[in-house]
Amino acid sequence: MVALRGQDSALAEEELLNDYVDDVEESETESDEEVLLSEPAKNYINNKEALLEKLGDIAWPEHVKWIDKLTIDHNPEQEIDANDDLIRESAFYTQALVGTRQAFEKLQSMGVPFLRPPDYYAEMVKSDSHMLKVKSKLLVEKKKIEEAEERKKAREAKKLAKEVQVQKTKERAKRKKDEIDSVKKWRKQRQQSGFSKDNDDEMNLPLDDGDEGFNKSKKRRTGVAPGDRSGGFVRRGEKNKKRDRRESKFGHGGRKGMKKQNTADSTNDFRAFNKNKFSRNKRGMKK
Amino acid sequence: MGKKRKHEEASKALKEEEVAQERPKRTLLGWKDGEAPKEDNSPTFRNKEKVLVTCSRRINYRYRHLMVNIVSLLPHCKKESKIESRASKGSTLNELVEFWNCSGCLFFECRKQKDLYLWMVKSPGGPSVKFLVNAVHTMEELKLTGNHLKGSRPILTFSSNFDNEPRWKLVKEIIMQIFGTPKDHRKAKPFHDHVYVFSIVDDHIWFRNYQILVPHNETNKVDRGGLDKMSLVEVGPRFCLNTIKIFGGTFGGPTLYENPYYVSPNQIRAMAKRKKAGKYTKKLKAKMRRKLHEEANPLEPDEFADLWKEEE
Repeated sequence: MVALRGQDSALAEEELLNDYVDDVEESETESDEEVLLSEPAKNYINNKEALLEKLGDIAWPEHVKWIDKLTIDHNPEQEIDANDDLIRESAFYTQALVGTRQAFEKLQSMGVPFLRPPDYYAEMVKSDSHMLKVKSKLLVEKKKIEEAEERKKAREAKKLAKEVQVQKTKERAKRKKDEIDSVKKWRKQRQQSGFSKDNDDEMNLPLDDGDEGFNKSKKRRTGVAPGDRSGGFVRRGEKNKKRDRRESKFGHGGRKGMKKQNTADSTNDFRAFNKNKFSRNKRGMKK
Repeated sequence: MGKKRKHEEASKALKEEEVAQERPKRTLLGWKDGEAPKEDNSPTFRNKEKVLVTCSRRINYRYRHLMVNIVSLLPHCKKESKIESRASKGSTLNELVEFWNCSGCLFFECRKQKDLYLWMVKSPGGPSVKFLVNAVHTMEELKLTGNHLKGSRPILTFSSNFDNEPRWKLVKEIIMQIFGTPKDHRKAKPFHDHVYVFSIVDDHIWFRNYQILVPHNETNKVDRGGLDKMSLVEVGPRFCLNTIKIFGGTFGGPTLYENPYYVSPNQIRAMAKRKKAGKYTKKLKAKMRRKLHEEANPLEPDEFADLWKEEE
């Protein structure tokens, strides 16, 4: 694994399977210039003096100011694993962030203008049309996320609403039962005490919350149309009056058994036929 | 052009003033009274880097786009048409570099339309480095949403392990000279709004390019506390470089460094194929082995073999 760890990670994206590379260690090595090495010390040139000499040749003179070079060094705190994308990219991001902070501090201390004023219009490295595409893609993604969230919320709300509705119906049923029971009790009482009680006083108790019961639903109950057999609980779309009328008459799904209605008389009925409507040009069209 | 003239005048004016300090010298921008104050007496350094960017023929679309992106990132580059033959590419390229008076070269060599090798060369007589390029993402990818001024000078950030070994130091110097935009270049814009990241991870050099977004109202000062609110958006392109060799000359010469861990992609593909090729022979061998093994160790006769035989 040692010899090829670098290559592994780098070339994984080039559709090479890591499995093959693993097996190579066992198989015979090539005797080319690029030898498959399990020990790195073998056969590798690292001419440090010559490298440093060349460095001295090409390097800029010592007195070159930082503003010409604009380099910042950053020390990554931890070992970065090349295969873990998130860690790697966040490491690069922190390197850039810390580096720019240092650079900006230096530039600011120099007093050099280094930030773009908002009215400076110049050619950008990506064209405007490209940026439009980027923007539209971002918007699409955002919309997708929002829709997914809304759907989730709607589902949750529906669940809650269902529970609430169940509870409400239970309560209503219970209250109805209680009212009926209380009326029965009162009647019995009255019967037992021989109809000689005062009328108003005794009746008060069970019906105090009766007002509340009558006014309970704050929902606006629109007037139900007389032809509406569904009882006013079905929500209508605004446009489809014809469909609504049919549905309220026959229920959802239409009238039963009235699909094919032609009789001999109806086919021969030409009252609805408009002979002027069909153009004469089509007379010759025969297949 | 104006700046060049001003420098010439200034240096000329200084020389004359050393001789006769009588009257103020006239320069392009006005009269010069007295000696121009100079911070350092050493000769002024002017970054005159010029980079030649070319590619080989039969280059892939993705790598061609990468090259075009790099051309747009470096205002001090000169783009040349494709280089023909591979045999004499060294000499052809050297001639081209001299012809255009370039101090460096970035040569994108694509082999088999699959592998991209990048040569970074300093001319004349400078060292050259050959890299294998992986993990290429160009600027056209819609996930890389940043944008910056074309030609603005980048801030180069290197990870500190560039100073660990001499080869990395050399590579760092080459990168800095090639990728850093010269300050007084005529196509360079004055503001700094993007930053390059060169970082060594797992013996590879990773390159990233980010746009800097920082809240500011003035051109030379960040808003108070703005440095903390700075954010970076990736502009691209992205690539990963694997060092193959460092040569002492341009496009060749004595090898100064060779990467021991490098395996050429051709070899990897060959090994993969060879492994697949052996499947059938391995299977035959295994069968033969099994047969021999069975012959060598005969089974004991089964006691119950006759149990279900039909009785006559």
